Amino acid sequence: MATFPQLKTGAVAQYPIARHTQFQNQTVRFVDGTDQRYRDAGAVGLRWVIPLSGLDESELAAVEEFFLANQGAFGSFAFADPWDGHVYEDCSLALDEVGVTAVAEMRGLTQLTVVRNR
Amino acid sequence: MTTLVYPQLASGALSQFPIHKTRRTRTVTNRAPDGSTIKLADAAGVTTEWNLTYADLSDEEAATLQAFFAAAEGTLNGFTFLDPAGNLLAWSGQLGDEVWQKGPLLSATGGATDPRGGTGAWTIVNSGTAGQSIMQTLAAPGAYQYCLTAYVRADVATSAQMSIGTIRREYSVTPSWSRIAMQSSQDAEATSMRFGIEVNAMGVVEVFGIQVEAQPWPSGYKRTSRGGVYENAHMREDVLAIAKTGVNRHSCSVNILHANHL
Repeated sequence: MATFPQLKTGAVAQYPIARHTQFQNQTVRFVDGTDQRYRDAGAVGLRWVIPLSGLDESELAAVEEFFLANQGAFGSFAFADPWDGHVYEDCSLALDEVGVTAVAEMRGLTQLTVVRNR
Repeated sequence: MTTLVYPQLASGALSQFPIHKTRRTRTVTNRAPDGSTIKLADAAGVTTEWNLTYADLSDEEAATLQAFFAAAEGTLNGFTFLDPAGNLLAWSGQLGDEVWQKGPLLSATGGATDPRGGTGAWTIVNSGTAGQSIMQTLAAPGAYQYCLTAYVRADVATSAQMSIGTIRREYSVTPSWSRIAMQSSQDAEATSMRFGIEVNAMGVVEVFGIQVEAQPWPSGYKRTSRGGVYENAHMREDVLAIAKTGVNRHSCSVNILHANHL
């Protein structure tokens, strides 16, 4: 299992870090106006958008290698929520695509989106 | 190797900043109503695309790029492309991998402390009475300028030889980590190149961050699994627009695509 790449500082993310929380509920509405609601998913959906900038060549390469090791959105890995440090054991990259840009020497930027698998 | 190769600039670099690279994979996902998923990876579906932006190219450089584009006939013909932002060596952090050709009396053991405080360095021990080398052969053109670098140290000061093709140079190895670098180009007709390090007889050297780049000077170390040589890459478009921005000054943008399944 691949390990989410740490920056040289030891952090896994930079500001701003967006965390999206998504529930999945269903509502059955009756003729008299009342409704019945139920959960339609086993767990809350979590998604983190992690933009990274000012990376050096090693850090940028580590992001690429992580993407390739996971085969994009296929692989799963443990991810520590940068907001509170809670480790989610089964997460994946959200997309089958990653863009990396070398703006100048030791100035790379990229963005990863991580989702918690349900 | 494809005979057509993407040209280096007069400076020896393959491109200019910014370099944008996009990697794409293909995952077939079956998503159940409760949000759970079953996934299947398609290893053959991996593509890599580069967007290279050039500014202030000389007349000669622009003509070289134009001639290359004509030889490739746009998207038609494949060519060899060396990742301008990558380490050309495969498994640069796994010197025990089979892509590395080692002398019969040379052993490589991982897990040594590296100069960045990790355990990514390798201890190379030559138990023979003659120099032995660890090498990797790349399907890379001989005419390019290359830079081979590695971090090295040894408990007992010694020396090691770096080699690019048939050219070798000796470097001193001290108890402190130092980055040694060798620049060279070779026979223009060569279609493959060997890069490596030779350890003296009965010598022990610790090595970390071995890297080859298609440029005259080194950049930061990039650990790899897949190397940076892309055979059968293609131009992304059938059009190459080069703008003349002044006397002996041109600018353009080039998109290159490599797909595992092509």
